[in-house]
Amino acid sequence: MRLIDLSPFIAMVYRQVKRWWSARSRIFTTVINPLIWIIFLGLGWGAVLSPSSVNSPSISGLPVNTITKIMQDYFNRLFGGVDYVTFMVSGMSVMTVFMASFLGGISVIWDKQFGYLKETLVAPAPRWLVITGRIVGDSIVNVVQALIIILLSFIIATGINPIGILPTLAYLFITSIAFSSLGVVIALKLGSVEGFQMIVNLLTMPLMFMSGVFYPINTMPDWMKIIAQFNPLSYAVHSVRYWLTGANVGLDYMNLSIDLSVLASSALVLLALAGWSFNKASVED
Amino acid sequence: MDAVVVENLVKKYRDVGAVNGVSFTIRRGEIFSLLGPNGAGKTTTIHIIATILKPTSGKVLVFGHDIVKEADVVRKDIGIVFQEPSLDNQLTAYDNLYVHGRLYGLRGRELEETIYKLLEFVELNEYARKQVRYFSGGMKRRLEIARALMSNPDMLILDEPTLGLDPQSRAKIWDYIRELKKKYNMTILMTTHYMDEAEELADRIAIMDHGKIIAMGTAEELKNMIGNDVIYVRFDKGLPESVCSSLPGLKDCVKVGSDTVELLVENATKALPEIMSSIYANGYRVLEVSYKKPTLNEVFLHLTGRELRDSLESNPVPHRRWR
Repeated sequence: MRLIDLSPFIAMVYRQVKRWWSARSRIFTTVINPLIWIIFLGLGWGAVLSPSSVNSPSISGLPVNTITKIMQDYFNRLFGGVDYVTFMVSGMSVMTVFMASFLGGISVIWDKQFGYLKETLVAPAPRWLVITGRIVGDSIVNVVQALIIILLSFIIATGINPIGILPTLAYLFITSIAFSSLGVVIALKLGSVEGFQMIVNLLTMPLMFMSGVFYPINTMPDWMKIIAQFNPLSYAVHSVRYWLTGANVGLDYMNLSIDLSVLASSALVLLALAGWSFNKASVED
Repeated sequence: MDAVVVENLVKKYRDVGAVNGVSFTIRRGEIFSLLGPNGAGKTTTIHIIATILKPTSGKVLVFGHDIVKEADVVRKDIGIVFQEPSLDNQLTAYDNLYVHGRLYGLRGRELEETIYKLLEFVELNEYARKQVRYFSGGMKRRLEIARALMSNPDMLILDEPTLGLDPQSRAKIWDYIRELKKKYNMTILMTTHYMDEAEELADRIAIMDHGKIIAMGTAEELKNMIGNDVIYVRFDKGLPESVCSSLPGLKDCVKVGSDTVELLVENATKALPEIMSSIYANGYRVLEVSYKKPTLNEVFLHLTGRELRDSLESNPVPHRRWR
């Protein structure tokens, strides 16, 4: 007994991956943006937020050694035992996936405008299967791009553990499913690339800053901390950082299995929402 | 069983009617053409038949299946070429067909063979591995026809198949359409606003205007509606009130436009002298006289009082809304 014909799913995965591959010269542009963050923000703040920047202060009665030790201890607690560059760089793969996921939404709008959406709407395949294929295809591409970023970050950051890469990719994949679905939902609602970009900018920047990529969640102001708790991205950043560096920086209750369940359930809910939106889509709207 | 049965189809966007009560049937193995100006409701009608639009009211059966309740069955039975290109420009010709085939559940050897057979049919096999964005308009159209045939459908739907193509590409597409009917006895539903295209290809034509079918039949039958010859007389200073009743030997007389009258006669060369002398005897001044063997354009003019060509300009393409 054949339960369900996965052919339409494979069709869409194939299409998304093939499209990306045929435009692979553009990989440069997708990688360059996180790379700029890594180099300038990472190296710039990395020098500030390190004990060596505190050059022999003289507080009477305290030996310089002790002061440096206190500083070292402080930064260790702040960044989970790694230096700031490693701290930030390990979160960048999440940011890459996050940003790229929304770009997948833009391609839905292009498909609307270039008529390809109609081609997928007349197909006698279950709509949810078609859109799931599309989202999975995009996510494969996104994870590959994130892998490039991780490999590049070895050049800059010292504390990254190669063994953690494999589980990292799995967490990133689930994260990508969640946000690609969200991108598709927004794109199906909106007609223009301009409108989409406006909404996405409004959404992505705050979500990114409140995810712990650039600074730890525990030192955030309380209101920000509350939002960060409901931001699936925080869990992605926590888990990926843990896998890549061993640094356990986040809210007290966060651990790998909680991260996984938050990410997986967000992915499922948003994927279902995307399927539902695509099911309703017609050439009218 | 008929290929398509449309009964009293109505489609309203908000409150504006795009299709206002259309009924027709398409027989198996025939080429059926919806002919009319842009905005007549042709595309809306075929989008409903293709299951991507829901009708406001009315019933549509495709090979006996209801397009709303059994959309998935209908989708398997039809192949469609949309008016605007709907190919993925970033994929190769082969990949476009591959993805389509997979969406329709094809796989393996069968899929591979179908792709090459159809690329050969539309003479694109040497471009199989080329990205579609480098294709000309005609090549894209041909590839789209190949794609619509991938699932081996019982009916092919073509929305303005030669819109914007050069004469050679048009001729090629016409050849493919004829061949599909001849070789595979395929049922084809097409829309067009080119009269020559409808006349050349279609077994039966339905003329649409303002969301309604205003005449239906073979090209011959439609032309016979207005007889053998048509004379157009354009008057100076508007149309005299009683002009129709004052002229002899007419089968019919219709005012078209503000200053022109359309006269249907058995034989224009014989009737003209008598008509002209009668016009002068009544003291009317004539600016222009012409006569034609009727074509579908004359039929459209006869039925609507507008030229098909003119209504293209006066009815611009409705703004396509995606949101």
